[in-house]
Amino acid sequence: MDESAIIEGMARGEERAFRELVERYKKKVYYLSLDMAGNPVDAEDISQEVFLKVYRSFATFRRGAKLGSWLYRVTYNAAIDHLRRKGAAPEPVADEVLELRSQDGAGLPRSRAADPVAAAEESELQARIAKALEKVSPQERAVFLLRHNEDLMLKDIAETLGLSIGSVKSYLFRAVRKLQKELCGAAPVAGLEAPHE
Amino acid sequence: MNDCRMTKERMILALYGELDPAEKERLDAHLRSCPDCASEYASLEAALRLMDRRERPDPGPAFWEGYWDRLSKRMLWESIENGRRPSPAGRLARAFSRLPRWSLQAAAAAALLLVGILVGGRLIPRPGAPGPETAAAGPSSAIAAPSPAVVQAENFIDRSKVLLLGLVNFDPAVEDAYALDLARTKAVSRELLTEAADVRRGLSQPGQRRLRDLVAELEVIMLQIANLESGQDLEGVELVKQGVDSKSLFLKIDLDRMSRAGGGAALPPAPGGVGSSNKSRV
Ligand SMILES: [Zn+2]
Repeated sequence: MDESAIIEGMARGEERAFRELVERYKKKVYYLSLDMAGNPVDAEDISQEVFLKVYRSFATFRRGAKLGSWLYRVTYNAAIDHLRRKGAAPEPVADEVLELRSQDGAGLPRSRAADPVAAAEESELQARIAKALEKVSPQERAVFLLRHNEDLMLKDIAETLGLSIGSVKSYLFRAVRKLQKELCGAAPVAGLEAPHE
Repeated sequence: MNDCRMTKERMILALYGELDPAEKERLDAHLRSCPDCASEYASLEAALRLMDRRERPDPGPAFWEGYWDRLSKRMLWESIENGRRPSPAGRLARAFSRLPRWSLQAAAAAALLLVGILVGGRLIPRPGAPGPETAAAGPSSAIAAPSPAVVQAENFIDRSKVLLLGLVNFDPAVEDAYALDLARTKAVSRELLTEAADVRRGLSQPGQRRLRDLVAELEVIMLQIANLESGQDLEGVELVKQGVDSKSLFLKIDLDRMSRAGGGAALPPAPGGVGSSNKSRV
């Protein structure tokens, strides 16, 4: 079933098309939700809300638009709504959870169990990255991860999320600065922020 | 030197290949001659390379395989909850009326499952396996295994009941017409019709008259359904529902079950009555 067949089927309310859409996009939607919410329970909840929304409001899908982009946008908005409803700052994956996962080898995509030293280093790195991402707001994380992991151009991210290019850039800049600070411990180099001559 | 104006922002854009070529060239030239900026750039690049190594915890194959089931269960419960308790403005009900048709069919199937558990499991004795609760009452375990004709009739009745539950559960005041998959309902009723005569002929024993009559009544209803107009024939659906009511078909089906099981027992839940007590999302 190609994308246009899914779209046609969805417009006719066919279960098969909806199921195909879910099967095809569940990982993208789940992982963006996870990146924004920071924990797997909220991530599944948000991703389900996304598909419910997609089913109910498929009529608002603009023909000719990309299904994937639309889903990113719905996910982004659903995650922000969800986090706002919860009223709390997103709860990032706790270090213990991360360690637990890397220990049993099931949680992480690639297992490095062969070399215990490398495995320990890897798990330490993952914990550092997770901690660094905690400093980044959900919006900044979404923009950063769409640029960094999904390799979307900034203008496409702006269009996808319905943000101005200026906002997208400033989310990205803030995210990268925070990550650099956390990961490289770099205080801003003197003289760089303010131009010197 | 003027080019230290190259802010971090430009470096970030450059690292993502989003700086326009002329600016990129200037930045590169500057980095070759300015150690401060070069080290800043290297630090940014190092941070991003570390981020490349980030791994997202994979919830595992069981999570992904069960994803659809959990999602459709949530849709089903939400449609049941919202369909049964429309908001005063009806807006909420309206919002959920576009929920999948199959969720209502699933509701009907779930109802039947409960009926099946109550009626089938407890009252109808399985050969060699006495019914758990009614066994104590005596007569059920004494009943011989049903003949193939009776099994065929039961199968026919069961499938008719699923179909009728779907129709009876459907409430056009609350739900969108599309919530009822009339085309599918009609197709199944036609299928049942082709079997009905055969089923009736099999029930030739004197003691099977009531069962035979029940099959005949269901046959009439199936004919009515099969002849509904294509599209959303809501009036026709209403007539079928009235027909089911006036003939008390569900009651007859259940009485038939009980009489053959030889014991009195709880009536199955009213159509559409499932789910209200089960709010849990799975
Ligand atoms: Zn410089």
